[in-house]
Amino acid sequence: MINYFTLVCFVFLIFAPIAEARIYLDINAPTFVQIPIVLTKWKSVGRTPSSLSDKIYEILANDLTLSGFFKVIDIPQLPPPLREKEGVSNERSLQEWVSSGGEILLSGETLLESDGLNFKLKFHLFDLVEQKHIVGKQYEGPLPALRSAVHRIADEVILQITGEKGVHNTKIAYSVLQGSGKEIFIADFDGANIRPLTRNQSINLSPAWSPDGKKIAFTSYLKRNTDLYLIDVDGKNLQRFLSYPGLNASPSWSPDGKQIALMLGMQGKSDIFLVDANGGNPRRLTKGHGNEASPTWSSDGEWIAFVSDRSGSPQIYVMARDGSKVRRLTFEGSYNTNPSWSPKGDRIAFCGRAEGRFHIFTIGSDGSGLRRMTPNSGNNENPCWSPDGRYIAFSSTRTGASKIFIMNANGFNQRSLTSSKGGESGPAWSRRLE
Amino acid sequence: MTKKCLIITILILCVGLVLTGCPKKTVVKEEPSVKKEEATKAEAERIAKERETKAKEEAAKKTFEDTLVAKKEPGIEGVVFESSLLKDIHFDFDKYDVRLGDVPILKENAALLQKYPKIKIQIEGHCDERGTIEYNLALGERRANSTKNYLVSLGISPERISTISYGKEKPLDPGHHEEAWTKNRRAHTIITAK
Repeated sequence: MINYFTLVCFVFLIFAPIAEARIYLDINAPTFVQIPIVLTKWKSVGRTPSSLSDKIYEILANDLTLSGFFKVIDIPQLPPPLREKEGVSNERSLQEWVSSGGEILLSGETLLESDGLNFKLKFHLFDLVEQKHIVGKQYEGPLPALRSAVHRIADEVILQITGEKGVHNTKIAYSVLQGSGKEIFIADFDGANIRPLTRNQSINLSPAWSPDGKKIAFTSYLKRNTDLYLIDVDGKNLQRFLSYPGLNASPSWSPDGKQIALMLGMQGKSDIFLVDANGGNPRRLTKGHGNEASPTWSSDGEWIAFVSDRSGSPQIYVMARDGSKVRRLTFEGSYNTNPSWSPKGDRIAFCGRAEGRFHIFTIGSDGSGLRRMTPNSGNNENPCWSPDGRYIAFSSTRTGASKIFIMNANGFNQRSLTSSKGGESGPAWSRRLE
Repeated sequence: MTKKCLIITILILCVGLVLTGCPKKTVVKEEPSVKKEEATKAEAERIAKERETKAKEEAAKKTFEDTLVAKKEPGIEGVVFESSLLKDIHFDFDKYDVRLGDVPILKENAALLQKYPKIKIQIEGHCDERGTIEYNLALGERRANSTKNYLVSLGISPERISTISYGKEKPLDPGHHEEAWTKNRRAHTIITAK
């Protein structure tokens, strides 16, 4: 699939934004109202089968709903088709669409080339309140890249409305219970294209993406030791990467990709170590007698948050990359684990126990502003951020067996990633794969 | 009065002499033959006892070997053995220190390991399902190591013991309640070489 991403790059800016870029939705506000968006029926040009356009509409509507930023207005409520002038809806027809209740309108069309192998996608975004055209673009590429191109349209819409591109071309790796073991799976952000990455019947845990998005590290029991393995995202080149006696687990690449922080058990207990990107030169960062777990880097690469039970119960701590300047971050609750540092740098998500359940919390990286993000249902664990810091993936047992859930960073719009029966755990979010 | 007393005393002494004297004579007469019999009897008993001990030892060894159950786990390298004579110990929630009540179990396990010096073991640290995957990996690592350290303190060579943490990945009881959790917080011993 990855090769196709490069092929789909023929993007033409049909109309530059007329006015200066305007932020319609400040998604950093603790609460925001979803913007009502009208999605007109996607047009099929020439001999393009209408089923193809229907599929595109479906992917787009799903993407915009999943983003959490939009309320997609149902088609039956919509007025008659847009009247167009040279491909762009004219002002009078836009006027008619105001009654739909939408503030933003997205329309577009598909052309399947006569060879049946390549497509062209065109879209226009309008502001119905101010009655103006916001942006229009065209994409083309081979048919297998269609889904990715549709995600790019959704990303572009989100860029125009929120000021930052969406994360529709990202993937999530996670573990799935299979028999007595666990296999690593990969799915798209929208839960499509689920496929197994490992098929070894062992217990395969805690996947982590390399910074270039090309490899996944995970812990496996293949050799009767908790070793760390590397594998390409296409499932090739499995490599036993680290195999010190005891634990080799929970890797976290530094933002520059040059070092990996992880848990090593070679001292008879779990400590946080740094190794070079090739696995060599292990340096122990944590001192003392506690159990140390789950390192996560700050986005500037200067700090590492981690778990330690040195105070008698597991709590979140932060230290400089050389192990100095250790400070405790969490003081509420007696069981706080699994920190994940937002790519935006300002907040740390973690799993904490409250009211007898495990919940996802976020806290400022200075220890202020603790917020519980999950409702009082089931156990919620293993938070990880999307590459834009606007979503958190985690596992939850709220519907029975553990499943991967995604929510907006403010806790809204919580939904499960896949429609599986469960047994899912330990999500890890890729960078944007474009 | 004194005459009467004297006569009675003499009479009592005489009766006493008669009563104690006669059996003594017979015992003395029979002494040599009894000694011989007792010696052969003791010898026989000693031999029997030796035989019994040997048999017991062999039976014990046989029993231990009989308890070994081969185990091949999917996706995990090698065939290992489990024995019901190597018992699990258990832990309190979020704790990894060996409980006082479990010390006799470790002493029995150590005695068995001393008796069979060729055996190598792996101690598995397990946790209940509560808490995150990675913190439980750290906790299981510590449970396995504190169990190992206790066996080493009882004289077992550390070279014979490897450790592995399964965290919360291999619960003995899949239930989601206190009873299951209590069972699952454990250090389990498997035999990697015999």
